Amino acid sequence: MSLIEVRGLKKSFGSLDVLRGVDLTAEQGERIAIIGSSGCGKSVFLRSLCMLEKPDAGKVFIDGQEITAKGAGVDRIRRSIGMVFQKFNLFSEMNVIDNLCLAPTHILKMPRKEAEERAMKLLGQVGLAGRAKDWPTVLSGGEQQRIAICRCLMMEPKLLLFDEPTSALDPTMVGEVLAVIRMLAKQDMGMLIVTHEMNFAREVADRVLFLADGVIYEQGTPAEIFDAPKREKTVDFIRKIKYFNYEIRGRRFDLMRMQGGIQTFGEKYGLDPQHISRLQLCCEETVYVLLENCYPGRDDVEVDLSVSHAEQNQTTQIDIICGGAPCNPFEQEKYSINVKILKSLSARLDYRRTNDRNEITIQL
Amino acid sequence: MTVRISALALLLGTLLGAAVCLLRTRKNPILRGIASVYIAVLRGTPVLMLLLLLYYGVFARSGLAPVTVAVITFALNVSAHVAELLRAALRASDRGQAEAARTLGFSAWDAFRLVTLPQVLHIARPVYQSTIVNLIQWTSVVGYVTITDLTRVINNTASRTMQPLLTIIIGMLIYLALSYIVFGLFALSDRRRQRKRGAAA
Repeated sequence: MSLIEVRGLKKSFGSLDVLRGVDLTAEQGERIAIIGSSGCGKSVFLRSLCMLEKPDAGKVFIDGQEITAKGAGVDRIRRSIGMVFQKFNLFSEMNVIDNLCLAPTHILKMPRKEAEERAMKLLGQVGLAGRAKDWPTVLSGGEQQRIAICRCLMMEPKLLLFDEPTSALDPTMVGEVLAVIRMLAKQDMGMLIVTHEMNFAREVADRVLFLADGVIYEQGTPAEIFDAPKREKTVDFIRKIKYFNYEIRGRRFDLMRMQGGIQTFGEKYGLDPQHISRLQLCCEETVYVLLENCYPGRDDVEVDLSVSHAEQNQTTQIDIICGGAPCNPFEQEKYSINVKILKSLSARLDYRRTNDRNEITIQL
Repeated sequence: MTVRISALALLLGTLLGAAVCLLRTRKNPILRGIASVYIAVLRGTPVLMLLLLLYYGVFARSGLAPVTVAVITFALNVSAHVAELLRAALRASDRGQAEAARTLGFSAWDAFRLVTLPQVLHIARPVYQSTIVNLIQWTSVVGYVTITDLTRVINNTASRTMQPLLTIIIGMLIYLALSYIVFGLFALSDRRRQRKRGAAA
C-alpha cells in the first residue's frame, strides 16, 4: 500500500484556480522534491495534504486512510505526518524541551520522563542538546528550524512535509538545516519537500515534481528534470535557474538591473564577490563597446546577454549575441583600454560572425 | 468599597468579556452583529450614564442594593473593553503556531488552549493592566447612586474639616497608591516570568 495517494486534488481561492487536479502516489520512504515558480501552488498542495487547506475536490489518502473524507478523524490521521514550516512556528510561550514534549505527552499520553529522554536524544542528533532549556526567541533561525524538525520527529511520523524549510533563513544558516534533512533522508524517512534549493533537491530527491498550471506538469528523476526536461515550461524554468538572461533593447537600458541580476545569479552559485564583480565588469565593458560600434548613434539596439556557470570546472561563461554592424569588440584600437581590461579578466575570448550577427563568448 | 466594587466588577467583567469576544469572533453574522453593537454602545457611552440608567431606570423597582447595581454596571463596561482587548490579542497571535499544533495532531480546542491562549494572555497583559487601573478610577462616580466610596468619603471629609486642598490631595494619593499596587503586582509577575525565561538563556 502506498503511503500517500492523491486523486484529482482541486483548490481555488476566489476565481483563482490554484490546483486543477493533482494526482500523486508516493511510496513508503520515498523522497520527493516539488519545484515550480512562485505562486504555482506548491505550498497549497502541501498544505492540502494535511488539511490545513481544505481541498474543493479530490481525495487524499494517508497510509490508506482518507483524510479528506467527511468525519475522518483528521486529528488522528495527521499524527502520521509531520509538517515543517517556512517560519518554524515554534511555540513562543514555552521553552525548547516543552515545545518537543507537548504533543507526545498530551496526544500519545507518553510519560513526561520518556518524552524528555526522546527529546534529548533528538536534540543531540541535530547538535542542539545544549539548547533544551532555552526559549525560541533567543535562538537563531537555523536553530529554530532544526528544533521544529525535532518537534515533528517526536511523534514518529511516517512522512515529513517540508514547506520551503530554508526560505526564511539567513544564507549562512541554510546549510545546517539542509544537513539535518539530509541526515533524515539517510534514515529512509519519507518526505515531500517544496524547495527553491535546486542543488539540494537534485541530491536528496528520488523524484522531482515540477508544478505548473495547477497540475504536476512534469515529473521524473532529478537527472531527467534538471538535465533533460521535456516539456516547454519545464525547459523554460530549468533554463532560468541555470542561466541569467538579459535583453538590451535600447541605448539607455537598465544597467543596474542587469548588474543586479548578475549579482543574484552569482550569489546563487556561491561565487565569491570578487568573481562576481569581474563578471559584471566584463559584461558592462563588452556591452558598451558593442553598442558604440555595432549601433553607432542608433537606438534600435538588439543585444542578448546570457550568463551561465558550470559547476564541474567552476567556469563562468558570458554569451552575447548582438545585431547591427560587424564588430569584433576585442580588436578595437579606439577601445584598447577596455579590451585590455577584458583580456586581463577573462580566460578565453571568442568572436564569431554568423547569420549577420556578432556572437561573443567570454569565459572566466 | 472602591476596592470591593472594582474587584468584583473586574472578575465578572473579564468572564463576560471573554464570552462576548467569543461571540464577536464567530462566523455567524447575527451573533457577531449583536456582540459588535454591545461593544460599540458600552465603549461609546460614559459609564456614569449606564450607572444612572441601571439604577434609576432598569433596576429602579427591583430593590437591588446600590452596590450590586454598581458592580453590574462596571462589569458590563469592563466586559466591552476586555472583549475588544482579547479580540485584538487573538488577531495578533501567531496563526502559524496554531497550524503547527494542528499538524502534530492536536484538536482545534487543544491547539487553542495549549498554544494560542498563552500567547493571547501574553499580548493582552499590558492593556489589561491599564484597564484595571482605569476601572478603579471610573468607580469614583458611584457616589451618584448613594454609595460611600473613596471619592465620597474624601468629599465628605473635605466639607467637614474645611480643608479641601489637603483632603483631596490625600484622596488622590490613595487612588495613586491603589493604581501602583496594580502596577506593582504586574511588575512582580513580569519579573517572575523573566526569571523563568532568563534562567536558561
